[in-house]
Amino acid sequence: MGHTRSHFWFVSPAVILMFVILILPIFVAATFSFTDYNLGSTDFKWIGWKNYESLGKFSSYSKMFTASLTYVVIVVPVSVLLGLGSAMLISSLRFGGELYKAIFFLPVMATLLAMAYAWEFALDPVMGVINKVLDDGCSVGWFYKFFTGSWLGFNPTESWYGGICSDRMPNWLGNKKYALGSISFIGIWQAFGFNMVLYLAGLTSIPRDLYAAAEIDGANSTWEKFKLVTWPMLGPTHVFVVTITSIRSFQVFDTVEALTRGGPSKSTYMMVYAMYEKGVKQNLIGMGSTLTIVFLGFVLVLTMTQVYFINRKVHYS
Amino acid sequence: MKQRTKLGSEAGKHIVLIVGALVVILPFYLMISFSFKSPSEIQSISGGFFGAQEMMTDHRCLKAGRSEVECTMLPIVYNYRAAFEEAPLLRYLLNGVIVTLSIFAIQVLIALPCAYALAKLKFWGRDVVFGLVIFCLLIPVHAIALPLYLMLAKFGLTNTFAALVIPWTISVFGIFLMRQFFKTIPDDLINAARMDGMSEFSIVWKVMLPSAIPALLAFAIFSVVAHWNDYYWPRIVITGDRDLMTPPLGLRMFKSDMDGNEYGPMMAAATVIVAPLVVAFLLAQRRFIEGITLTGMK
Amino acid sequence: MAEIQLKGISKSFDDNKVIKSLDLSIANGEFITVLGPSGCGKSTLLRIIAGLESQSSGDVIIDGREVNNVRASERDLAMVFQSYALYPHLSVQQNLMVPLKLRRLSRLERFPLLNWFLPKRSSKMIELNEKVLQAAETLQITHLMERKPGQLSGGQQQRVAVGRAMVREPVAFLMDEPLSNLDAALRVHMRAEISELHRKLKTTFVYVTHDQAEALTMSDRMAVMMDGEILQHDTPSEIYNNPVNLQVAEFIGSPKINVLPAESDSKGGITCMGLPISLSMKTPKQGSIMLGFRPEHTELLSSNSNNCFEGKITYKENLGSDIYLHVNLKEDQHKMIVRSEPDKALDAKIGDMVKIGWMVDKVMAFERNGQSLPTKSKS
Repeated sequence: MGHTRSHFWFVSPAVILMFVILILPIFVAATFSFTDYNLGSTDFKWIGWKNYESLGKFSSYSKMFTASLTYVVIVVPVSVLLGLGSAMLISSLRFGGELYKAIFFLPVMATLLAMAYAWEFALDPVMGVINKVLDDGCSVGWFYKFFTGSWLGFNPTESWYGGICSDRMPNWLGNKKYALGSISFIGIWQAFGFNMVLYLAGLTSIPRDLYAAAEIDGANSTWEKFKLVTWPMLGPTHVFVVTITSIRSFQVFDTVEALTRGGPSKSTYMMVYAMYEKGVKQNLIGMGSTLTIVFLGFVLVLTMTQVYFINRKVHYS
Repeated sequence: MKQRTKLGSEAGKHIVLIVGALVVILPFYLMISFSFKSPSEIQSISGGFFGAQEMMTDHRCLKAGRSEVECTMLPIVYNYRAAFEEAPLLRYLLNGVIVTLSIFAIQVLIALPCAYALAKLKFWGRDVVFGLVIFCLLIPVHAIALPLYLMLAKFGLTNTFAALVIPWTISVFGIFLMRQFFKTIPDDLINAARMDGMSEFSIVWKVMLPSAIPALLAFAIFSVVAHWNDYYWPRIVITGDRDLMTPPLGLRMFKSDMDGNEYGPMMAAATVIVAPLVVAFLLAQRRFIEGITLTGMK
Repeated sequence: MAEIQLKGISKSFDDNKVIKSLDLSIANGEFITVLGPSGCGKSTLLRIIAGLESQSSGDVIIDGREVNNVRASERDLAMVFQSYALYPHLSVQQNLMVPLKLRRLSRLERFPLLNWFLPKRSSKMIELNEKVLQAAETLQITHLMERKPGQLSGGQQQRVAVGRAMVREPVAFLMDEPLSNLDAALRVHMRAEISELHRKLKTTFVYVTHDQAEALTMSDRMAVMMDGEILQHDTPSEIYNNPVNLQVAEFIGSPKINVLPAESDSKGGITCMGLPISLSMKTPKQGSIMLGFRPEHTELLSSNSNNCFEGKITYKENLGSDIYLHVNLKEDQHKMIVRSEPDKALDAKIGDMVKIGWMVDKVMAFERNGQSLPTKSKS
């Protein structure tokens, strides 16, 4: 058709930008990952696979992988299940659902860095409200009994809570026993509202007739209906929610940089933070690029898994 | 009997959700509450939500040589005044607005014509371009931040507004989203516009753009929220120059400049930064949730 | 097999009364159709019988047992939904297994993994598989067993939905517009199949539809429902020939019955637009009434006939087997639709004047308020 070459003008800016901003950097990173380049010096040497080898050699990198994977393994399942659970509770409410939805979605909207600082105050070992509540709770009978497990017949002083009561309140972000857990908690706090909203959308798209059919077929408990209808019908939502939460938790940066800087003793040394520390702060471009490539690899694997599942398993029509 | 168990389970659900809501709200509560309180109330965890609001004296104000009367004020006034005076908070906010709006404007400018061409024009290589878009969807910009930073540094662009905006000018997601939306617009509308003598260029801006308002609005929310809140990228390319800092980065500087007990002013600054999006969200919940979960359409 | 009784059922959604104090009794093994326009409450009624919806007041009695507080899953009824409501993630075979597994296997036997170790499970499963296969053979869907519902045509999905209802051998089948998502030809075919199924199973069928052709062809008895009330409950032919009121008369029959104003005198004689009709009322009463002439009970007369309606043709529908003429009657502004044999009306043209006669024993009389009036033809 004669109408014009206008498509050329429409498409080329986008195509050029895609190459320059998204694709070229991958090659740049791949190239530099084989060098010892650092931003201060004028020249660099080709050092082959050395950067990649050092990933396996130095304990700080194995700690990095451990921290990143642990974070993902904690945050993804918990925030997905919390998202699903709250979505199911909210959608079954007769009133007030909109209010909870808005509240749970707030963390998704709010500037994470600002909220990280608010959490830092809440988690502060001395003037944080969390430790204040725990500390005050030590002298409240039922609270103490409940959390030490002594109502189940355990020895209260042997329990975790009994321990901190008789000793010292935990330093949530400064103790390597707790730091990763605390960062994960903030990650979950931030992410589950997003998952909830996706699940709510998934739930409303389930035809009501299927529940009626399940009831007629003899599924008389909520659990049976969940197993027969809700869970499988949410298939596509599951795949999407799990993938996007995994990719996002791999990218965690704000809380780490603001609250722990990877510490204490690298217990929260997550990949994107490591990339930033090596490449930007210490100007070790070679190592930073290597981390970039490895990170891209992880993201690609996750996305490919998603694509595989979407094509294979969960599309019913 | 049946009625009563139903009410009981409804009440149970509310209890669970209320406990969850309290945990979710906790940091917001602390943030706002701290922005009201005096330093001593913050340290001793007292004063409830608003604090006692007893008059307090700003010691640094005294040191600056001003009178006792001038330097005595309510804690809430002290906190918010400090936030705006000691840190150039207004400057940060303005930068945030400039950066988010220019990112969105450029994204639309680039994505819309491309999306239109991919959806409605037939040309050689269209499938290749669309394949490229799909491939680029897999690349998170955060992951390639380091090489991007290198490239910008090479051209001497770090510590400029351009550095804050350039990596986000191309939104493959925006292209994909708008293309899907344009696909649903009937060809006849475009053919009619052509019959009326419109050029392809004016079709994009006078026919497609107005019809895409709902999708565009959702994308705007998605884009603005992401870039207002972004901390990672500004942290990389802006070092030192406060006049270029976006709100989260400014807050970070505030924290590192802080001498000991300025939690109140800091939380006041945090409140001011978080407030615009949260207020907008509460006013237009449905649209926001739609916009943010847009990624769910992929 | 079951006999179902509804006593004083009513249902309101908020302030909206969908069903108003309704009684209906359904005999054992009967095929009953609830026929009504959309929004008349017929689907709600079916869901109340099923137990998916609870009535605001009144009793549902199945086989003499009041089941008001019995859950849908325990009423032992089966239902076929308009949307079929097949589980899209399960194959046809698995879909058919669901109701059997949920009812015949214990909770433990359904528990994943653990169930492999239970001794009686495998023999039970063989038995259930057997039942599924039987149902599939009856419905001729054995070749589809491994497919997912998304890969089936509408007609095939419909069979699977019926199959899922069948395997359990329920005491009654409830069907909610099961054919309305099929195309016209298939609908006629499935009508015959469902009737056939009913003859085979001899179970109670409650069938809800808005399509009078389905109701008239399939049911033993039908209940005409409008605005939350059952207007008439009788055999199809009785409802067609002796509707209790004008509403029913107008709803049943296609094209719609022609209604013309008429006068009755104190002796019971009737005149319609000046013409004496050789019909009289069983209980004479003077006043204005209405007469109903079904199109198929009218005919074209030769041009020299008298004592007949006269009018101008405004529209002609040739259906091949019949021709319907739309006629504007000369007197007043009344319109009439006349059915004619094709050869009689072949050269009737729009604009022609025609004369119209009627079969007197088929004419129905109604009061002004629509109630049917008993008549007898004068011999």
